[in-house]
Amino acid sequence: MAGIWIYAEEQSLAKQLLTAGKELAQKINEPVVAIAIQSDMASALAGAGADKVFHLQAKTDWVENYEKPIAALLQKEEPSVVLIGGSLRGKALAAALAADMQTGLVNSALTLSYSDGAIETSRIMYGGLAVCTEVLSQGCVVTIESHVFEEAQTGQAPGEIAAMEVSLESKVELIRVDPIVHQGEDLQAASTVICVGRGLNGQEDMKLAESLAQKTHGVVGCTRSIAEDYHWLPTEAYIGLSGQKVKPDLYISMGVSGQVQHVAGIRDAKIIVAIDTNENAPIFSAADYGIVGDLHEVVPALIASIVK
Amino acid sequence: MNIIACYKWVLDEQDIKITTGSLALDTSRAKGKISEYDKNAIEEAVLQAAKSGAEVSTLTFGTGKAKASLKDALSRGPEKAYWVNDEKASTADGYVTANVLAAAIRKIGSADLLLFGEGSSDVYGQQVGPRVAALLEVPAITFVSKFEIQGDKVVATRTLGDSIEQVAVKLPAVLTLLPEINKPRIPSLKQVIGAAKKPMQEFKVADLDLPAAAVEPKTKVKSLLGFVMKRKNQIYKLDTVEASVQALVAGLAKDGVL
Repeated sequence: MAGIWIYAEEQSLAKQLLTAGKELAQKINEPVVAIAIQSDMASALAGAGADKVFHLQAKTDWVENYEKPIAALLQKEEPSVVLIGGSLRGKALAAALAADMQTGLVNSALTLSYSDGAIETSRIMYGGLAVCTEVLSQGCVVTIESHVFEEAQTGQAPGEIAAMEVSLESKVELIRVDPIVHQGEDLQAASTVICVGRGLNGQEDMKLAESLAQKTHGVVGCTRSIAEDYHWLPTEAYIGLSGQKVKPDLYISMGVSGQVQHVAGIRDAKIIVAIDTNENAPIFSAADYGIVGDLHEVVPALIASIVK
Repeated sequence: MNIIACYKWVLDEQDIKITTGSLALDTSRAKGKISEYDKNAIEEAVLQAAKSGAEVSTLTFGTGKAKASLKDALSRGPEKAYWVNDEKASTADGYVTANVLAAAIRKIGSADLLLFGEGSSDVYGQQVGPRVAALLEVPAITFVSKFEIQGDKVVATRTLGDSIEQVAVKLPAVLTLLPEINKPRIPSLKQVIGAAKKPMQEFKVADLDLPAAAVEPKTKVKSLLGFVMKRKNQIYKLDTVEASVQALVAGLAKDGVL
C-alpha cells in the first residue's frame, strides 16, 4: 500500500512525526499510516490526521521489543518511507528495523523534501560543521528527534484504527529502570538559556550563572566537559550535538569556547550572546553579540543592568 | 572468549575548513584518526579483556587510507587487527558498512562480544552497531555507559534520554558504547613500537561472499556543505565593562529578548 509510515514510542513525538509525514504526503500524494502501541495513542493519532492507524497490542516491559512486529508489518506493506521518533530507544529500534528490512537509515533528519522523484533528507555531520543532503532509495527509515516539528493538531476527521494482537520475544532481560529527573526538558522549553563552559574558574562561579538565570527567568545548561569531566551539572544538562539541542529566544554563554559540537546544539537559538576572555574563541563567530572580558566582571554588571 | 572492537578511520573534523562562498568542505589539511567514540570501544575491549582473559582484536572497513589506522589500533592494546580494504568504503552508508562488517565477522569466525562506539565522529550515523547485531541475529545493547561480563552473560547500564536502565543478555552480543564509559589511553612509545609486531589481516569486499546488492548504498550523498549561521557578530570590547554591558543590553532590548 506504500505510504508514509510513522512510529514513536511516545505520543507527543508521534504527533510531531505526523506533522512531518503530512507535509511530505502533500508532495508525494500518499497516505500517512501510523503505528501505535497504546490505545490512547492510537486514537490521538487517528484524530490528528493519520489516514490509518495500526494499533499493535502486546504486553512488554521493554518497548524496543516492538521492533520485530513492526518490521513484519512494514515488510508486508512496503512503505515509501518510514519515520521513527528519534529518541535513543527509537534510534536503536530504527537501526534494527533498517537491518531487518535491508534498507537505508538516516538518523536525526532536520528536513524532509521531495525532488526528482525521490525523498531527500538533511542532517548535521562533522560535529555540526556541515549539513548533508541525502537522496533516499524507496523504503528507507528516517529518525526525527523531538522538537524538530510541531505536534499535529487534533480534531480532524478520524482515520481508521486497525487493532492487531502481536507477540513479542525478547533476548534482553530488563533488570531495572530509573527515571532521570528531567533538567533536559526544562532546557528545551526555556526561553532563556544560560550556558557555562570551562572558562569558569571553579564551581563557585556556578552561582554567577544561577543569579543571571534568576534575573532573566532562564535555565542553566553547560558544555559537555562541565557535565562529564567536572560533574557540576548532570549529564542531561549539557548542550550540543550529542546532548540537548536548545532553541531559546536568548542564549548567553559564560566561558564557553564554542566547539562545533556545542554550537550545533544552539543553532536554533534566536539570539546568541557570548562572554569570554579569549577574543579568538570560536563562540564569537557564532554569536549575535559578544563581550570580550572577564565573566566575573561582565556577568555582575549584566545582572545589575537588566531591569526585570 | 573473543572480543572484537570495530572502528572507523575518519577525517579529523577540527582540521576541516569551510570554503568561503561555495561552502564546500576543504579537507586538504585534514588528517585521519580513529573515530573518537570508537577509541572508547577499543579501550573498553582491552579493559574488559584484562579482567576476563579474553582475546581482543579490532576490525575496520575503510579505503587504502585506513592502513594508517592499524598500528594506531594495535598500539591501544588489541592483539590482532582486521581490515576490509576496499574503495567501496568511500561511498558506503550504514547499510553497506553493516553488511560488510557482519560478513567480515562471520569470516573471522567466532566473536563473543562486539563493541562499537555509539556513532562515528564524522557522519555520526548511529546505526552500524545495532545493524550488525540484527544481521548476525544476536542481541544489541545500545548507549551503554557501564557493563560487566558475568560468565556467559553481560550486564549493562544504558543511559537514555529519560532513564537509566540495567539489562542483561546472553553472549554473543553487540554493545554500543557512550564516551563516558572510559578515557581512551594515549599509547606509550613502547606500545606504538610493539604494535608493529602484531598480526594484521586484510580482506577485500570480494572475499566476503556478499551479493552485489548488499554493497550498493541505499542513501546517497547529494551535497555536503559547511553549515554557516548568519549572526550579527557584534562584539563589544569597550574601555569599561559597564560600557560593553550597556551596549549589549541596548541591543538585546531592541531585539525584544530582554
